[in-house]
Amino acid sequence: MSGEEKVVALILERYPFLEGKITIQRRQRIIMPPLNRDYFEDVFQFVVNEAGFRRFHLVIGVDDGEDLGFIYALSNEDKIVLLLKQKAPKELPYIKSVCSVFPNALWHERELVDLFGAHVEDLPPGPTYPLPDGWPAGNYPLRKEWKVEYFDRETMTYNPPAEASAAAGTDKAKEADK
Amino acid sequence: MSGDSKRITIPIGPQHPALKEPGCFTITLEGEKVVNAVVGVGYNHRGLEKACEARTYIQDLYIIERVCGICSHTHSTAFCQGVEELAGVEISPRAKFIRVIMAELERLHSHLLWLGVAAHEIGFDTLFMYSWRDRELVLDMLAMLGGNRVNYGINTLGGVRRDITPEMKQLIHKTLNAVEEQNKYYIDLALHETTLAARLSGIGKLSHEDALKYGAVGPVARASLVDDDIRVAEPYAAYDQIPVKVVTDGHCDVFGRAVVRVLEIMESIAMIRFALDNMPDGDLAVKFPRKIPAGEVFSRTEAPRGEDTHYIRSNGTDKPDRVRVRAASEANWHGMQHMLEGDYLADVPIIIAAIDPCYSCTDRAFVLKDLDRGRERVWDWQSLKRYSIDWYKERGFDASKIKLAERRI
Repeated sequence: MSGEEKVVALILERYPFLEGKITIQRRQRIIMPPLNRDYFEDVFQFVVNEAGFRRFHLVIGVDDGEDLGFIYALSNEDKIVLLLKQKAPKELPYIKSVCSVFPNALWHERELVDLFGAHVEDLPPGPTYPLPDGWPAGNYPLRKEWKVEYFDRETMTYNPPAEASAAAGTDKAKEADK
Repeated sequence: MSGDSKRITIPIGPQHPALKEPGCFTITLEGEKVVNAVVGVGYNHRGLEKACEARTYIQDLYIIERVCGICSHTHSTAFCQGVEELAGVEISPRAKFIRVIMAELERLHSHLLWLGVAAHEIGFDTLFMYSWRDRELVLDMLAMLGGNRVNYGINTLGGVRRDITPEMKQLIHKTLNAVEEQNKYYIDLALHETTLAARLSGIGKLSHEDALKYGAVGPVARASLVDDDIRVAEPYAAYDQIPVKVVTDGHCDVFGRAVVRVLEIMESIAMIRFALDNMPDGDLAVKFPRKIPAGEVFSRTEAPRGEDTHYIRSNGTDKPDRVRVRAASEANWHGMQHMLEGDYLADVPIIIAAIDPCYSCTDRAFVLKDLDRGRERVWDWQSLKRYSIDWYKERGFDASKIKLAERRI
């Protein structure tokens, strides 16, 4: 049994519902299916503390249409990289910070806030990253509906035509915060 | 002045003191000692990832090559091999060797550049000038191979764009001999020069545990006895066929980072020699599809500054759905606050410089306008060099008569 197969077996032993959903893409690459927050936090703790994936490389934000995806790249001592995925509805994209486990996740999570509009709970305070001061609120440039051609660099305003504005929707998480 | 009257907070930057790159360090001092440091970056965010989503893979290659002026080849290699994996395309063995040779030449010039910057930061300008003079030899080789001093444009999807001829090989060997000879002097300096050791030792401390905790990569991690190196951990290109010795050091400070880099120069020289002498024959590039099947890939390379990662998600079209680039510097910034705290203000520049943060290089080919004649033309490197020599000659200084050491090619 290869190192990758052992890792998958260990995860499946604990989480049988993931049977058939974990992919060994190639040597040193394991890809997990997107998990809801409820499952993610438990699986995350397991792969870090019990499966030995104690090195954090980065978290990658992706726009999956209705959902936002968050892909955590972790590796173990055998240099196997595990892509652990979490998803959250785009309208209410709440995730929990992993900075208490991996301090080096800080800027990556700030980037999720700026570029994807994620709401990262327990994110340590500090400057935003990487968008500049004066960036218009509610504009998340790496969401697919955000089009660079509607952004006016001079005035730092986003001016989509009416139909595009409706498609982009509003930030319901902010409304929920209120 | 902060609430505590003994403490003072000063901003350093955005044009920060170590390198000409925008970054802001908010340093809180108690006397001369740093008690808190907040690192602020993002001034140079260019939206490259969004730009990649709107362009084809081959167009993206030009963007990706410009993520960093110094590590341009490493980034384009990470991107190319990622897209090649998605497309299920295997490049030729010769192309893999050429990618390695370029990568190691890039490491040579990057480490020599760092050595100069670090020397400048501590007031050792003789070493700064020496190392940058030697770096020119490497840049000449890179320019010969790729046509540019930076952004060489060697990589393409499916292989490489330019070959290495026997004449080029001979010239590279000759250059490596010269760089090796000079680097022996730098190693001697790094290991035995007491003033250098006194200036660099014990500052910017990052223990082995903290290097792991903050996710340090490259020479910063290896100077804290973390033997991570993607060339060995996950051999790519032709690294599985070339002996790679990972250099580590246990000083866990700026001194250790200097030692790792000068020793890595020797390792890179050995790798280039091996690759040149064992390079197989074959095609430079294979036919590459325009549309890439849907999938995702996590590609890694070892840049001079450490691990570069590229995540690419394809959707079956000729444009990627998502490109995420994480350069090595982004990983090394996380431990910076910890490295600065407890040290003296005067050490802040060299501690920052010791992680070798990225900054952009300027292009060397540009359009000059002759105001008298109203003409524009592109000047290549040789014509600029000739113009420079003639300009000074007219003013009584003949640079062509200066006899550089015999080691000069």
